[in-house]
Amino acid sequence: MSSLANTSANVLAAKAKRDNVFRKKGIIIALFSGFLYGGYTAFMTQGMASGIWTVWSGASSGLSAFTVIYVLSAVGAAVNDICSAIWSLIYGAIIGRLGDFGRSLKSKPGRTLIIAAIIGGPIASTCYVVGLQMAGSIIVPIAAMNAAVGTIIGRFLYKQKLSGGMVCGIGICFAAAVLIGSTGMTGMHIDGQTAIGMLAALGAAIGWGIEGAVGGYACCMVDYEVAIIIRQCTSGIVNGLIFVSILSMIGEGGIGAGLSLLGTAMTDAPSIWLFFISGIFASFSFKFWYKGSSMCGAALGMGCNGTYAFWGPLWCFIVIGLIFGADGYSIPVRGWIGAVIMVIGIVVLAISQNKATQEG
Amino acid sequence: MKPLNFAILKFFCSGKEACRKDVQNALQADYGKFRAFKDSQMDDALQTACSNGLIEESRLELDAENNLVIYYKANADGIASINKYIPD
Repeated sequence: MSSLANTSANVLAAKAKRDNVFRKKGIIIALFSGFLYGGYTAFMTQGMASGIWTVWSGASSGLSAFTVIYVLSAVGAAVNDICSAIWSLIYGAIIGRLGDFGRSLKSKPGRTLIIAAIIGGPIASTCYVVGLQMAGSIIVPIAAMNAAVGTIIGRFLYKQKLSGGMVCGIGICFAAAVLIGSTGMTGMHIDGQTAIGMLAALGAAIGWGIEGAVGGYACCMVDYEVAIIIRQCTSGIVNGLIFVSILSMIGEGGIGAGLSLLGTAMTDAPSIWLFFISGIFASFSFKFWYKGSSMCGAALGMGCNGTYAFWGPLWCFIVIGLIFGADGYSIPVRGWIGAVIMVIGIVVLAISQNKATQEG
Repeated sequence: MKPLNFAILKFFCSGKEACRKDVQNALQADYGKFRAFKDSQMDDALQTACSNGLIEESRLELDAENNLVIYYKANADGIASINKYIPD
């Protein structure tokens, strides 16, 4: 780097301009990942309230409570992930990435992405759903700690910069997520079931934190357009074949029952188109999550992605509340206040990271 | 044959300095037809590798058309990291 000291002022100005463009692009991509995650949440939720899903959740479905709560949650995630994998493969073919997809699968970064996808996809997502079912919305802010976990991993595993200001920014974002997710916490008491739910949510935070940091770093070696195909195919296969079967076995259904539900859901015309839309949103959301983290570092990338805590309810309000006419999806005032606080947190985080980078 | 991004990183394991155009010239025969071989996407790949510490900026200059040309180089740590994740 010493030779840069002799560079003329106009060249340094051109470099500063280019660095600024790269930085802004990274932040916009990371913010978009959170925005699109909201669309993925809304269309998947609506999909699980349409067609055959309304029959399954009805009183006369004949399904056990365990199947309705846990197996159907896993089937919903699996249908989304399989649709997302199909879309990612189609998109990868269109933009000419399937060759590198095959070549990357056999590499060490490719295997790292597969492990990150299993940890962040089926394992963390199932922990999140189990947490929601057992403890309610108190687990939302616990799961939102994934940005802090990702930051710690990025700091120690990849020597990424972390200053006091950045920690402050992450803290503000976390407080905003607590505020947004705190709806429905009133009257809550902590019993054994709630505690297990909260532990499951902590598992989700750790899983997503690992995935964001490790997946983001892997994208400095694997093209993010290739990484997303690896991620969604892994998640679709593991969720669809393994997790649905395991949960079905834990219930009384056996392996066949879970796969039968999955097959029925995949061929249910009134709902599958909604899952295909949610799958497209998921594909873009996760690839931008990886790309944003690889461009900005895990702390800022995951902080920007954390805006999903606000975009999720907003997308649900627009898609499920306004378009499909369901009640109960309006955003309370605290949600809007939380969104403003989150923006402040991201600005603090971005400025602090910029300062830390320049000082470094 | 390696994925394009791997080939870009392995190119720097020789320890020599190179700009994006140098990398493209070296990889043209094998990867010239890849859609990710475009200037903007190659620049993105190099800058992302740089921001994650695998390579670093070694020299800057302006070309005849006043465009910024950035030369990159991998230091010993960067080469070790690249070889750790992408063995020959």
